[in-house]
Amino acid sequence: MVSKALLRFIAIRTLTLILTIFVAFSFTFILLRAMPVSAVENIIGSFLVTGGVTDPQALIELRKTLYEVFGLTGSPIQQYINYLKRFLTMDFGPSIMSFPTPARELVFSRLPWTISLLAFSTLLSWILGNVLGVLASMYRRKKISKILVSLSLTLYPIPYYIMALLLIFIFCYLVPIFPLVGGFGEISFTDIGSIIRDWLYKSTLPALSIILISMFGWWFLSSYALTLNVQTEDYVQYATLRGLPEPHILKNYLLKNVLLPQITTLGLSLGGIFGGALLTEIIFAYPGVGMIVYRAVMTGDYPTALTVLSLSIIGVAVATYILDLVYPFIDPRVKYR
Amino acid sequence: MIPKITIFKPIVSSFSMLMKMNIKFRTGFIILSILVALACISFLAPPSSTYWYSYPRNMPPSFENIDVLLGTTANGRSVFWAFTHAIKNSLIIGIITALVSSHIGLMLGIIAGLKGGAIDKVLMFITDSIIVIPPFIIYMIVIMTLKQYISALGNPIPFIGLIFSITGWCWPARQVRAIMLSLREREFVLISILSGNSITHIMIKEAMPHLLAWHLTNLTNAILYGISMEAGLAVLGLSILDKDTLGTMIYWVLYYSALFRGLWWWYITPILGAIMVFAAFFLISQGISEYINPRLR
Repeated sequence: MVSKALLRFIAIRTLTLILTIFVAFSFTFILLRAMPVSAVENIIGSFLVTGGVTDPQALIELRKTLYEVFGLTGSPIQQYINYLKRFLTMDFGPSIMSFPTPARELVFSRLPWTISLLAFSTLLSWILGNVLGVLASMYRRKKISKILVSLSLTLYPIPYYIMALLLIFIFCYLVPIFPLVGGFGEISFTDIGSIIRDWLYKSTLPALSIILISMFGWWFLSSYALTLNVQTEDYVQYATLRGLPEPHILKNYLLKNVLLPQITTLGLSLGGIFGGALLTEIIFAYPGVGMIVYRAVMTGDYPTALTVLSLSIIGVAVATYILDLVYPFIDPRVKYR
Repeated sequence: MIPKITIFKPIVSSFSMLMKMNIKFRTGFIILSILVALACISFLAPPSSTYWYSYPRNMPPSFENIDVLLGTTANGRSVFWAFTHAIKNSLIIGIITALVSSHIGLMLGIIAGLKGGAIDKVLMFITDSIIVIPPFIIYMIVIMTLKQYISALGNPIPFIGLIFSITGWCWPARQVRAIMLSLREREFVLISILSGNSITHIMIKEAMPHLLAWHLTNLTNAILYGISMEAGLAVLGLSILDKDTLGTMIYWVLYYSALFRGLWWWYITPILGAIMVFAAFFLISQGISEYINPRLR
């Protein structure tokens, strides 16, 4: 299996991975710098308002120090190289909005919340959505699959945040069993039982709002459409005419072809969870990464925004990398070239 | 004149065929017609409908006159007129995003999948570099940067659609390429390549019939992508808030917490609007793919 062509493919793909991350990071950096918000001026402004600093000389010094601390001195190219060096260690210096805390620490303390929420809800909705989609398509003349299709058609266009608001409306206002605001602080790894209870209490509603829509929306509809397409292919028709048992057709003819594109999308969604579910997190006041990056972008906090964006870029890039390497093993029709 | 007629004849005949034979297409088309009619009605709106406090506040729906048909909002606007504006603007955003992004995606996907080699590598490298950046955060930054310039334009709505096309073409491109990779290994494409057919010929004759259903699904998805992206940004208050879209309507609903004040006519309208837009496009694309592939009927 390990041939020269395979090794060459892996080498080229690895090089592309590194280049991709590099280009994406540069693009993000330029975009962030083009933003019309200056965090340092915000800080200086807040100092001036509170009357903390009044001496003009001290103010100039302060501004100079702040620019240095955040790596904003020198020409744009120097700054860029500076940030590129920091990218290798993922250490972009102190966060601007919550000043002395390093951006890395700030983001990493929120990562467990986001990862647990999104990994769980993505996987669950993928499995359920695909199973239901394939089944509904196989028995598409039955009443229940028609109901499922119309249900998904109604649920899919409802934006996540509307679903989130409806859930809050029902479960926090009408039937108050869940908290109106999400969890706060970091997960402490002391007592497993209380952690799980805590997590369930805070994450159930956000997870529900994601699962309901992405399961019945995207995953269900796409696997339904894919199965419908595969079902009409000649080899499936022939297999049915040959009188092969239905489970056999499902396993060997349908599932393999349906799952291929679905696995690609799943891999990408899993890679993308480092970016957080921004709107859902904000509405549920869920202490995840999305919330932080929103605040960071709004206040012009480059270090924090860059940390989250870099993590997200690396996550998705590595996911596509793994997918590309694994694809020929799942789909024998695709060859390395 | 004669060639024109021969071009349009099959389109007209298959359209009337679809309307007669296919329930899904018919339903979708009727919903879309209602939406387009609503969008057109927005041109008849009185000028006062875009201003705040030109109507009594928080009025429930009544049949007194057309302005209060769907009630009024907490900032004294007619929900009906706002809704017609919202449908028009959201449709424009969605359709521009779909037309630009999904066609670029389709072209690049087919070319990358068919040609392979260096072209594929370069195209996919660009796609991958854009795909890995979380789109919502990018749009947040882009809109924050460009908002002052866009708002200064007379009608900023089409430009929002163009902004979403910057990265919107990547997903269709990757998906189309994945299908093409599989398709290329099949006999009929191989034969076509070996017969010395040109790439345009292969694209139109061999690849398109297999990709058409996917492309139509991608089109509907891109329309929805545009509409929901704008709505998401609007909820955070980052869209053009003085123009009505489905998203900015939701923003004002949240701003005045209509959900908890029981102003149901105000929050149900944009949600129903979004559902109608989606259902219309999805049913149409389903109907068309059933027509193309008769075995699905």
